[in-house]
Amino acid sequence: MSEVISVNNVSKRFGNKIVLDNISLKVPSGVVFALLGENGAGKSTLIRSMLGYTKLNSGSISVCGLDPLKKPLEIRRQVGYVSDAPGLYEWMTVAEAGWYASGFYPDGFLRNYAARINEFQLPADTKIRDLSKGMRAKVALSLAMAFDPELLIMDEPTSGLDPLVRRSFLESMIDRAAAGQTVFLSSHQIQEVERVADWVAILHQGKLQIVSPLEELKSSVTILDLSLRDPLLALPDEMEQLEVLHRIQKGRTIHMMVRGFTPAIELDLSKHANLFEIKAMRPNLEELYLGFTQPYESIQARERNGQGKSNQTEVA
Amino acid sequence: MQLSIEPNNGIPIYEQLVRQIKYAVAEGILVPGQVIPSVRDMAKQLTLNPNTVQRAYFQLQNEEVLQSLRGRGVAVCEGAKKQCVADRQQILAERLAAVLDEAIRGGLDEDRLRSMFEKALKNAIRTGEKQS
Repeated sequence: MSEVISVNNVSKRFGNKIVLDNISLKVPSGVVFALLGENGAGKSTLIRSMLGYTKLNSGSISVCGLDPLKKPLEIRRQVGYVSDAPGLYEWMTVAEAGWYASGFYPDGFLRNYAARINEFQLPADTKIRDLSKGMRAKVALSLAMAFDPELLIMDEPTSGLDPLVRRSFLESMIDRAAAGQTVFLSSHQIQEVERVADWVAILHQGKLQIVSPLEELKSSVTILDLSLRDPLLALPDEMEQLEVLHRIQKGRTIHMMVRGFTPAIELDLSKHANLFEIKAMRPNLEELYLGFTQPYESIQARERNGQGKSNQTEVA
Repeated sequence: MQLSIEPNNGIPIYEQLVRQIKYAVAEGILVPGQVIPSVRDMAKQLTLNPNTVQRAYFQLQNEEVLQSLRGRGVAVCEGAKKQCVADRQQILAERLAAVLDEAIRGGLDEDRLRSMFEKALKNAIRTGEKQS
């Protein structure tokens, strides 16, 4: 599978603040790729740098085989982009916005645009300034999709939209993906992402925590809930084989997220006298997201700093 | 056919789709020869990733529940019902085993469990009769 977007060791600072810290990821062609992260994690900066709106401090990006900083126009001709705050001319009507944009794209743009507008039931003769937020978003999406781009990039496309509009956004997106085109979106609608994404990346405070096919991620990670008889005793040696991604201990129960858990390890653990209950579950995306954005190291560090000396270690 | 997918209930999404289509065939909601929505339409209907739907359809084709008809889409195979009924029983048996496992780990003894089961069974049969 060839990749449509390739981000290599990208870093970006605004003043002293590091917004993107050595990010590398590849987006294979024909997938729905979702970038998750809290507000201010760096999602929009990463997206804007893919389109050549932001200069990097180091690293390189290639989109559809082009360098966005050197070929910003070509990129914009090939990539459909829906920003989180679409810049539309307020005084144009819906139809005029399409006519204006069609000048930059090949023939067929206007016909496609008109079909989209019709499908979304947008009033062609209404001025942009008289449209609701949802309608504006639909205009932006119609413009981004009207030239049938191979790659559609959307920055929080469904935030602030009502369920009906969201639904039609998702349907359009799925339609793109079903036609073999690549969709890259950022979001914090975890439930939505869980339904539509093939791949997920989690960005946290400028650092990339994980990039993986969603199904692979879900099946490789296990949520473990252990109940202990004596919380002061060390955990069995079998636990050493596991890669611990996240761990919270509350009194006699330990909640952890691990990689490498197998039925054989579960059987070994179940023989251990100190563990009287072991629950192993497949995580959902929300649990994965929380686990990856509260990494284990930070909790260990707190424990070392003496804040977790009692057995009431809790990380909110 | 009304399908409902819960992405965060721990069962992989494609697996939920496979099960629900099998259930629909087992119950006669889908009949052999009936054409079901294409991957693209099903993905849109359920707002699911098309590759996930594709994966479920592939599996159902491998298990000879669905077959693709050239130019007409995907249809339920002749003879799929019998297999789907068996598969549904298998899934139910697994769910029952999981409940029993939980009960035993929770410290319930055999006699207590048996009486709970008998009672639940009687209730279920009674409500079943009322409905039909």
